[in-house]
Amino acid sequence: MNYLMYDTYTIFWRELKRYRKSRSGVLIRLIQPAIWIIVIGNTFSGTRPLIQSVGFEGPYIEFMAPGVIILTAIFTSIFGGVNTLWDRRYGFMNKALTSPISRSSIALGKMSAISLISALQSSLIIGIALAIGVTFPNPFMIIPIMAVVILFSMGFSGISVIVAATAKSQETFWGVINFLGMPLFMLSPALFPLELLPGWLATIAKLNPVTYTVLLVREMMTGVSEGGISALLSIGVIAVFVLVMIGLASYVFTREVNKPF
Amino acid sequence: MLYSVETRSLSKIFGTVNAVNDISFAIKSGEIFGFLGPNGAGKSTTIMILTTLLKPTSGQALVSGFDVMTQAKQVRQSIGYVQQESTVDEYLTGRENLVLQARLNHIPKEQINKRIDEVLELIELSDRQNDPVVTYSGGMRKRLDIAGGLLHHPKVLFLDEPTVGLDIQTRRKIWEYIKKIHKEFEMTIFLTTHYMEEADQLCDRIGIIDHGKIQVIDSPENMKNAMGNEVISLIFENGNSNDFLSQLHQIDLIKKINADNNKLTIFTSKGTEVIPKIFQISSELQIKIISLSLTQPTLDDVFISYTGREIRDEDTGFNRKREHAKMKRLRA
Repeated sequence: MNYLMYDTYTIFWRELKRYRKSRSGVLIRLIQPAIWIIVIGNTFSGTRPLIQSVGFEGPYIEFMAPGVIILTAIFTSIFGGVNTLWDRRYGFMNKALTSPISRSSIALGKMSAISLISALQSSLIIGIALAIGVTFPNPFMIIPIMAVVILFSMGFSGISVIVAATAKSQETFWGVINFLGMPLFMLSPALFPLELLPGWLATIAKLNPVTYTVLLVREMMTGVSEGGISALLSIGVIAVFVLVMIGLASYVFTREVNKPF
Repeated sequence: MLYSVETRSLSKIFGTVNAVNDISFAIKSGEIFGFLGPNGAGKSTTIMILTTLLKPTSGQALVSGFDVMTQAKQVRQSIGYVQQESTVDEYLTGRENLVLQARLNHIPKEQINKRIDEVLELIELSDRQNDPVVTYSGGMRKRLDIAGGLLHHPKVLFLDEPTVGLDIQTRRKIWEYIKKIHKEFEMTIFLTTHYMEEADQLCDRIGIIDHGKIQVIDSPENMKNAMGNEVISLIFENGNSNDFLSQLHQIDLIKKINADNNKLTIFTSKGTEVIPKIFQISSELQIKIISLSLTQPTLDDVFISYTGREIRDEDTGFNRKREHAKMKRLRA
């Protein structure tokens, strides 16, 4: 138990080293969210009256920018676990499994690294948003926003690690991940106010942790809260989500890696 | 502790396939033990059980005195495992890879640098330690893999086909390193290989496994001797072949002679001692020997005699799956 932190850090360190050496990927992964914020942000600029009807004063692009930040976080973290499959195929996993470190620390190390990377990618998107004219009432809010993104990504990277540990092939992994990622993003108020969603969609959205993260980040960026969901409730939901995912990912990962690959 | 690795009635069943079928063997401390067998014979499964990657279906396995089932953590602390495929991170430097390995093995922080310098020296990679591994040759990667397995001074070192895919010069160099580290650390080495020459060169004892069962365990010398006959083929001219033959028959060590005009095929247990005697007789009888060759049994012959000649495409289910994955990887 006393080694859990140390071992988690060891794996975290290794994942970040690998990330640092693959810099070319960083920019490529920014292209898609950049397209979202620029294209969708401007395509739907005419929806401003709708946005204003639920209390937002700014342009649509300011409303949806937090959604795209979370989009970046969702996809960076949900794709992040894919190297688990490489590790199993190319023997790093067996090396780690035959060393005295605990199985859960491998999962936790990967998740922490993924969530930090996710936060870095999201902060670059915030940069793009600022560059195209999105304003922040309070620039210091960036610190708690990053904290929320790291926390949220930790939970989502858990999904990724679970799928990667369970899937035996790349094909299965990408199939499941694509099946999960987009709907979780769409079924949230990332692009459209929660109050204006049809009742049944709003109900589904309220079961989705993405919803609470988007609302929280949007409140921190614009100062406007939505749908009667308080920041405290959002923080609570995210915290529970993350704790559940940490527990579940450690459990599933440990169980799966003990089976032959 | 007398035995470093010990299995008792160890079995592993995948579905309906008995990959490892009731095997028992013991490896002495400090021994270099070669584990040979055709593809799909049960080698990988055994090594995965001994390194705690797989749980046996029944039976017991002790590594360094610890049970692989109930004391997995202690087993992991006492072993080094150098896998067949290279497991170093390509984009990290050689040294970073070793730092990672040292941390995985809980080497105390203040000792990490000293240990790394020590193994880099041993494996002669000190001058390339700060280069990314992606620039290393196959042989250098293998050396780095081996170095990683040594950092924590394991009591038992598993080397899974350490020279597969390497050229002959590199292979010999790796053998030297293996001998060197064995001398330096005096650990037990459990080695698998498909190269009989490698097993012959390195191993104190060899176990041959096939169809999930141990077929034989002995030293390479004893195995070859047990194969019996060495064969001398000889061609001569002039002289009285009857006298020659009758005198040859007097030599104790010769078991049998097949004569075909001036060609003789001589079966003996000690060819190297018989040859001088043949020359002595032939010079006394003024017989001119045109050519002579001696064929000694090799470990290849031993291996074939225990495992048969058919090619093992019909692997166990488990291995077929692995092979399949390997093919997929190669095609990708």
